[in-house]
Amino acid sequence: MEKPQFRPVGELTYNQAVNELDGILRTMQSDSCDIDLLAAYTRRATELLTECRSRLTATDKELQAILAGLQQ
Amino acid sequence: MSRQAITLSRLNRAIAGYLSQPSLTDVWVVAELMDVRENRGHCYMELVEKHPDTGAVTARMRAAIWASNYGRISASFRAATGQSLTSGLKVLLCGTVNYHPAYGLSLVISDIDPSYTMGEAERKRREILERLQREGILDDNRSLPWPETALRVAIISAPGAAGYGDFINQLYHNPSRLRFTVRLFPALMQGERTPASVMSALRAIADESDLWDCVVIIRGGGASSELQAFDDYALACDVAQFPLPVIVGIGHERDVTVLDYVANMRVKTPTAAAEWLISYGEKALERLQLIGSEILRVATERISGSRMQLAQLQSTLAIAPAAALERSGARLRQASASLAGIGARRISPEFMRLDQTLRAIATAGRTALERSAYRLKASQQLLDALSPDATLRRGFSLTMCEGRILRRASDLAEGATVTTRLAEGTFKSTVIKN
Repeated sequence: MEKPQFRPVGELTYNQAVNELDGILRTMQSDSCDIDLLAAYTRRATELLTECRSRLTATDKELQAILAGLQQ
Repeated sequence: MSRQAITLSRLNRAIAGYLSQPSLTDVWVVAELMDVRENRGHCYMELVEKHPDTGAVTARMRAAIWASNYGRISASFRAATGQSLTSGLKVLLCGTVNYHPAYGLSLVISDIDPSYTMGEAERKRREILERLQREGILDDNRSLPWPETALRVAIISAPGAAGYGDFINQLYHNPSRLRFTVRLFPALMQGERTPASVMSALRAIADESDLWDCVVIIRGGGASSELQAFDDYALACDVAQFPLPVIVGIGHERDVTVLDYVANMRVKTPTAAAEWLISYGEKALERLQLIGSEILRVATERISGSRMQLAQLQSTLAIAPAAALERSGARLRQASASLAGIGARRISPEFMRLDQTLRAIATAGRTALERSAYRLKASQQLLDALSPDATLRRGFSLTMCEGRILRRASDLAEGATVTTRLAEGTFKSTVIKN
């Protein structure tokens, strides 16, 4: 069974990451999805979700830094 | 050679005298305001008329509203149009031509009809929109698709304006902690130079358009005056054709400018613009949430599905041979049944043919027998006619000795007993040789 090759999430744009998530979901929903790859796909999806979410949201520290920067 | 000369003041007074006549008193004039300024309660301005196509000034006159009238006129104008008397407005005014020996010619305004300006603003707005429509760009920005995320926001606003502060405050205190990146591209948001200033800010954003997801044009707080600066063809044209979606938050409900029509998104206030961007970002987060839970669900389903499949395979394996045998048996039975059917279909006509032949043979036999019986009967009658009985009945007799019929007397010995048969009965006699 061939293992799918994934690009590092840092190299992806947000759109590419979301598209890949959609693709993974479709693959997992299709009958051709091998159970052996399920773990690999789920792991990849988690990685992508974490990356996407971190691009959308900021930590408290970052927010404070931004607000401080704007008030200058 | 001496000439008759008068003083300048006399000349000017003469001019003033000529101009002081009914046809130049309380005249209703249509003009555009320029360089409007207040001084000690009075209001001074230039009145101009521009060429409708080129925009070049074709007529010009100074004008003034004295303090005694200015309060009333400006209050009623503001009440009707929602804005103050400013440069760029087209007005219908009532004025009297006045020639001051020291200050020259001017029009003293005694009244302004605000309904003309309202209609004029509306007409101008409609004209710009129709032109944009004709040029096929009216809907360009409105039909721009939004990117997956709109977190990088280029802001066009007056620095330090209350609206800008409200916007930033709203944006960075969103409960989802969306990571917005903003930069202010400062521009004048009121006065005649507003369109040019906003357009240059737009150009600056367009130069680095890959850094931004959208543009927000906000005009914070303040009176709703001077919105007509945004009813500008060139500015509307730039916004309509801008490569990024533009959100406009420059006025309140009743003040709709051309910009509100061409921008991708129109909101009432800067705060509302921020709220919209936050809700858009939250939608992206929700989408992620949805994909995440969907992937979890599918993965779980797949695993439990595989488990069920295994269990099913296991139980199927136990009964599979018997079931296979049963299926083969059933197939065989079915095959033989259908074969029998086919046989019957083929054989029964043959049977029918045989039956027919049999019946034909029987009939033929019977006929032959009847014919034979008839012939037999005829033979019997002939036989009867030829039999000895018939001869006997005619009076002949038959004499036999020792069971043999006598034909010659010489065959008889003396004293032999012979039996004579008559037609009816027999008798014995003894032979006497003579």
